[in-house]
Amino acid sequence: MAIEEEQSILFAERPEWADVTPLAQYENINPVAPIFYTNEYKDAADYFRGIVNAGEMSPRVLELTEKIIRMNPAHYSAWQYRYKTLMALKSPLDVELHLMDEIAVKYLKTYQVWHHRRLIVTQTRNPGPELAFIAKSLQADTKNYHTWSYRQWILAYFNDDELWDAELPFVEEMLENDLRNNSAWHHRFFVVFQAGVRKGDEDRDEVIRRELGFVKQSISVAPNNASAWNYLRGILDHNGTPYSDLQTFVNPYSVPHTLEETAEGVVDLENPLPSKESHLPAVAAIEFMADIYEKEGGDSLMKATELWKSLANEHDTIRKKYWEYRIREACQKVTT
Amino acid sequence: MADSQLLIPLHVSYIKSLGESKDDLAYHMTAHLRMNAIYWGLTALCIMGHKDALDRAEMIDFVMSCWDDEAGAFGAHPDHDAHILSTLSAIQILVTHDALDKVDVDRVAKFILSLQQPSGVFAGDSWGEIDTRFSYIAVNALSLLGRLSELDVEKTVAYFRQCRNFDGGFGATAGAESHSAQVFVCVAALAILDRLDEVDSDALGWWLCERQLPNGGLNGRPEKLEDVCYSFWVLSSLSILNKITWIDAEKLTKFILSAQDPEQGGIADRPGDMVDVFHTQFGVAALSLLGYPGLVDLDPVYCMPADIIERMGLRKGWKALDRRSV
Repeated sequence: MAIEEEQSILFAERPEWADVTPLAQYENINPVAPIFYTNEYKDAADYFRGIVNAGEMSPRVLELTEKIIRMNPAHYSAWQYRYKTLMALKSPLDVELHLMDEIAVKYLKTYQVWHHRRLIVTQTRNPGPELAFIAKSLQADTKNYHTWSYRQWILAYFNDDELWDAELPFVEEMLENDLRNNSAWHHRFFVVFQAGVRKGDEDRDEVIRRELGFVKQSISVAPNNASAWNYLRGILDHNGTPYSDLQTFVNPYSVPHTLEETAEGVVDLENPLPSKESHLPAVAAIEFMADIYEKEGGDSLMKATELWKSLANEHDTIRKKYWEYRIREACQKVTT
Repeated sequence: MADSQLLIPLHVSYIKSLGESKDDLAYHMTAHLRMNAIYWGLTALCIMGHKDALDRAEMIDFVMSCWDDEAGAFGAHPDHDAHILSTLSAIQILVTHDALDKVDVDRVAKFILSLQQPSGVFAGDSWGEIDTRFSYIAVNALSLLGRLSELDVEKTVAYFRQCRNFDGGFGATAGAESHSAQVFVCVAALAILDRLDEVDSDALGWWLCERQLPNGGLNGRPEKLEDVCYSFWVLSSLSILNKITWIDAEKLTKFILSAQDPEQGGIADRPGDMVDVFHTQFGVAALSLLGYPGLVDLDPVYCMPADIIERMGLRKGWKALDRRSV
């Protein structure tokens, strides 16, 4: 009999399941939320309850829980019991992961799929293939929150230098595919600044220079990318670098395109200019310049206020109330 | 026009109809969410001023039928194992219906506290999935049960601190990306614990108001799509930080209203999509915080009717927009 045909037959109709007593859903009261089932799901769920009640942990339980999970990947009791059964049977976990590879791709957005992998890999202690799997599933869904946080967990949990070393190239590839992938930018910060100091990166000044170079390049290509600007601020905040250090770089982004940009001349690698096709001024650049002026204080507060006014009234009107708040705050600083 | 008015009678009948759903497959597939769904439906009804649209006694009976006596907490559906998610929803439903006396508070508090991990985060159940959502749930539930004093606050707060990112936002687990929903759970939990000092209010407030897109809707993180439920996660966080005015209220209101189904009622994640009770609840909740006329006040920290939380002495220093008369 073909496998597909076998799987469409109800458990109730299979002689090898005759020894199990299926338990129907609790229906003693008239609930506010009555349940109607399809036969197939009801059948599997009834037999699942029967198995759990009997405390059985056998290979056929794996078949049953797989069936339930495929119909309802959020059924966390089925996942839980499956894991317990795998442990009781000492099942080959690489086989389990391989099966999960297929299910995960179909059901990327459920928490359970990822937690199950976490439990398994905690047993196998073999994180390398997991990172490869994560990379593959990110191709289908580049910003999947569970997938990225699973990757962060693996790196932190196993804390293996070889794994960490491969991360920067991985993140760069993801950013090359989509410069606006906020998850990738976040991951970059996590890898570079929140994972301790690894071999080769001991010169922190060099690391900061490298990261600033990278983010400036990205901004020049896509000046209206919020993630890149957040990353820039993150680097500066984390390392206590004053925003004013970036003034020369940021300034051209805070005004409309100028003739100077198009003039031939020496390319300043430290201060890449906005790409010609980009829309200027970039709101984030205006904000950045305003922050610099605000920090300078004194007469510069007027300059900051002018920029905030331009944001409130022209460039970022949806956040008018926020920009008016910044103006008020600055005025208070002047008067006190 | 769907985007000019909140169609309250339609939404009320939509929620009432959920108990009579003929859509078999979708309905049974969400059994694991049933307790949550009832809480969402009930809270939305309360905010729309129609608390009695669903039968109180039936609802309480259902909640109690989900009691998992082995674990000492509530499952999502009769004979589902207890989980922290359904336990909070059960408590919230009972509190809303003034029936908390039916709960074995000792056992539930014990269940919740037993889920705290060495790192300070809470698991959802014995399966061990961890998430700052569960930490919020634990704090919220213990607070409603009057057992917050039994919580190791420092330990709990320490994990939130670990989840704070370079952009001022919070993630689901240590090292995870900032996300509006995770920001809400961390900020609301810290509010209950009187530890908003852990939040960089200016930076986070700015990050939150940056979630608003030109169409007026809010997203969960930079460069992602708008979704009605983020209206609540973002708005409630801002109201807790006393910065709710930083959102363009008129545009957001229009966006939420345009996601209504003018025929069968209910609200979807964005205009044109299928409605569900989750987005209906969070759309209505957001409108309440925005001061939409005719709605009941919502407490953004607990996501429950404000007067109930106030009567329990649990109100924190949040600020919503004033209720408009028209």
